[in-house]
Amino acid sequence: MKLDLSEPLRYLGVRGEPDPALSTQLSAAADRLTRSVTPRWLWRVFPVLHRDEGVVLEGAGLALPGGMARKMLAECSQAVLLACTLGAGFEALLRAEQARGMARAALLDACGSAWVEAGCDAAEEEIAARFPDLHLTDRFSPGYGDLPLELQKDICAVLDASRRLGVQVTDSLLMNPSKSVTAVIGLAHHPQPARIRGCGFCSLRETCQYRKEGKTCGS
Amino acid sequence: MDLDFLYDGIVILDGAMGTVLQQRGLPPGGKPELLNFTDPDLLRSIYREYIEAGSRIICANTFGASAPKLAGTGRTVDEVVSAAVAIAKQAAAGTDVKVTLDMGPLGELLEPLGTLPFERAYAYFKEVAAAGERAGADLVSIETMTDLYEAKAALLAVKENTNLPVLVTMSFEQSGRTFTGCTIPSMARTLEGLGADAIGLNCSLGPDLLAPLLRELCENTRLPVIAKPNAGLPDPATGKYDMGPEDFVQALLPCLEAGVSIFGGCCGTSPDYIRALSKALEGRMPTPRVYHSAGFVCSAMTPCFLDGVRVIGERVNPTGKKRFQQALLEHDLDYILDMAVQQEDAGADILDVNVGHPGVDEAAMLPLVVKKIQSAVPLPLQLDSTNAGALEAALRVYNGKAAVNSVNGEQAVLDRVLPIVKKYGASVVGLCLDENGIPQTAEGRVAIARRILDAALDHGIPAEDVWIDCLTLTVSAQQEQAAETLKAVRMVREELGLQVVLGVSNISFGLPNRIAVTRSFLTQAMAAGLTLPIINPNQREIMDAVAAFKVLSGEDAGSRDYIARFAGAAPSPSAPAAGGSSLTLEDAIARGLEGDAGKLAREALKTQDELSLVERRLIPALDKVGADYEAGRAFLPQLLSSAQAAQAVFEVIKASIAQKGGAPVKKGRFVIATVKGDIHDIGKNIVRTVMENYGYDAVDLGRDVPPETILDTVREQNIPLVGLSALMTTTLPAMEDTIKLLRTLENPPVIFVGGAVVTPEYAARMGADHYAKDARQSVDIARKVFGA
Repeated sequence: MKLDLSEPLRYLGVRGEPDPALSTQLSAAADRLTRSVTPRWLWRVFPVLHRDEGVVLEGAGLALPGGMARKMLAECSQAVLLACTLGAGFEALLRAEQARGMARAALLDACGSAWVEAGCDAAEEEIAARFPDLHLTDRFSPGYGDLPLELQKDICAVLDASRRLGVQVTDSLLMNPSKSVTAVIGLAHHPQPARIRGCGFCSLRETCQYRKEGKTCGS
Repeated sequence: MDLDFLYDGIVILDGAMGTVLQQRGLPPGGKPELLNFTDPDLLRSIYREYIEAGSRIICANTFGASAPKLAGTGRTVDEVVSAAVAIAKQAAAGTDVKVTLDMGPLGELLEPLGTLPFERAYAYFKEVAAAGERAGADLVSIETMTDLYEAKAALLAVKENTNLPVLVTMSFEQSGRTFTGCTIPSMARTLEGLGADAIGLNCSLGPDLLAPLLRELCENTRLPVIAKPNAGLPDPATGKYDMGPEDFVQALLPCLEAGVSIFGGCCGTSPDYIRALSKALEGRMPTPRVYHSAGFVCSAMTPCFLDGVRVIGERVNPTGKKRFQQALLEHDLDYILDMAVQQEDAGADILDVNVGHPGVDEAAMLPLVVKKIQSAVPLPLQLDSTNAGALEAALRVYNGKAAVNSVNGEQAVLDRVLPIVKKYGASVVGLCLDENGIPQTAEGRVAIARRILDAALDHGIPAEDVWIDCLTLTVSAQQEQAAETLKAVRMVREELGLQVVLGVSNISFGLPNRIAVTRSFLTQAMAAGLTLPIINPNQREIMDAVAAFKVLSGEDAGSRDYIARFAGAAPSPSAPAAGGSSLTLEDAIARGLEGDAGKLAREALKTQDELSLVERRLIPALDKVGADYEAGRAFLPQLLSSAQAAQAVFEVIKASIAQKGGAPVKKGRFVIATVKGDIHDIGKNIVRTVMENYGYDAVDLGRDVPPETILDTVREQNIPLVGLSALMTTTLPAMEDTIKLLRTLENPPVIFVGGAVVTPEYAARMGADHYAKDARQSVDIARKVFGA
């Protein structure tokens, strides 16, 4: 698993070539992170039922309401629930970095966001390898589009993520440890188009500095 | 209850309840505790199957019967626990099978990872434990813990509120750590010290992967050891565990050889597994164990075996340090944390923590400082106080096995402190003095050491937890005593075999070039047998002497650490000389050069007063970086680096003012907080750092802060400016509530808000005075409120 340093730079709002001092500090933060923290994940497959009230994951006792899940899973007979986390180790590292200085902490925090996404990517590879005959949809998460954030709690409960991964969801629907992700991935018999790239699916769309300037973070 | 059965032979526990219930129709994520009311027959039938299969102890269906876990079910802890214990007892009626109260994690993370205070966790567990004893449980099982701190809260709650024996098991990853980073030696030696009756591992892995961890556990405890593995690992495609009963038992048998004597099963196991286990273990006896007896202290994450020289850092101590005293009086815990972090970075193994100073309530302050340091520094701590109340309060909230500094040969002191040391399983430092003072001969000091050791043993504290301080006297005052101290060190080491402590720096007091004397004495003392020097690890030469000694003693095998210590240590010729001709204070701040900024500030204070240094140089320099940031020429990390360099300048200014006893430079106080329900606070901390370095004084209320706390603080301290942060749409209502509440004040503060989901429109709608998109704008708002 590799940490792509362009991601944390994007999270930090750094545009253009970063100056050498910043690059050095960022590499050091990435190094500290990847040496001591490994993303861990947990996934489980459920049959998909297409019902009038929305998509239902059979055996999970879980409905995925809204147009987003319906569209994403339209051609899928099964779906994966995924949880991935950097765990409490990252939180400890971040607290220690904050005691050493907020500049170092901000770099580490941005690297952490990228590192948990790298974990999700690795989990996707593992899933793809397990089902070589099936095609994966984009992964999508509670809070994207009209998929309710409340599902975060249900997905963690179904996966027993508290016990098996050490991930909790608070009453205000925050994940703890902070660098944790829950996601849904559809499994289909045909190749699936990329559907959720773009600002419409981003939870930061209303506050994003790039958007305010008429740009996107992908460009 | 008679505990002999835990020690005498093999004990068979039960297997899983949760996954068996799922096989019989409970949906994943459902609450098994409710079955105590809806389907007691099902539970009873499963228990009977376990008893028939050979279980001698069965778990009441109370794993999630704590108040936080039952929230929203309409059931009280007492109802669930009494129903569950009654069902298990009915199933066990007519047999000698014991019923254990099962206590799982609370499902809320404790501080510092979560927001649940240790004391509240204790209260939740106390409620369950007391209900369990009332309901007639025979013993208690604390299970599946991944946070040693939570396990400690649960164990204390059982020990202090019931008379029941208690078994504690935790869940480890294959890496040998729990989710929260706890190690096996830390777990074993902390829980044994706290008085658990048996300890072990359950859940997370199958017996094959758990076996090496159980072996390590057996080496680190004298207690009976429990193994409750899963039936292998679950298949993500089907949710089924991959090990059948026979494979499970075969993989578990090596654990018997390793010394495990109490066996059961966790997720994926069933009565079939327990039946196979009973059969395989029938007539077997536990394997005799070899306990690795060793001096030891730890935090949850860092075990520290005392099998060589270990450095105790002395800097968290206000004696003779005006700046530190000021920090204590102002409750500036960040300053104290900084002292701890510096010593960790300098290579200390253990940190001494002393907060004794006139005007400081030690019993309140010591636990606060312990929590603060443990939130960011993983080193074990030595709690340094003569106040027994402060020691107990700090030992209670300490996560791991601490050391206590100190007792002496005076009977009253031993009687007061040793019971506390024993209760919390700490190590203790004994000073070689008593009511008659310090003996002038080595023999006299060793006699006191012997007395302290005997008293400790009488209290049930093992010899490896007794450390003796042979006392360093100032050589310029009592020259002959240096040799006596060294002789006492040798005698304690050779005759008593105990760990030896010395506060080394005292030797050179009053002499020029102190470091030469200190270093030479340190080296001689280590050669005589000193194992725990209390020193200032920030002094490179002193740490070099320790590193060199470890090479000569053979502790540093292959000189590996010594070589690593000096690798790349040659000074880089291109580094700008501090205070040199070219680098200005403004440059140092712009480039974020902390060390240089501090030195240049000290230089500047020779010709400029503190206030003008802030106003004329520091703030304009910060403004320039701020302007670059606004314009997109500099980015957040650079802004923060500059803030840190400015912080170094402020430290110099504070120290200078503290030295003169003057009033600190303060331009205005503001409250800053992350609102109720929001637990991620890095954004808030960034804003705070930048504002502080403009000279504004932050009252940081932390995260997950109720509106009332903010209101009270503003009212009591008459604060004119409040900054609120929210990260999630789900916590915006809490932000709005806080604003509304603050608006009820006769003289409401100016309120600014920010955070990932906050927009200028939301801010206006909620009634905030300002929206701040970043730290930089927050400073502009403060300027408007307090004037430039």
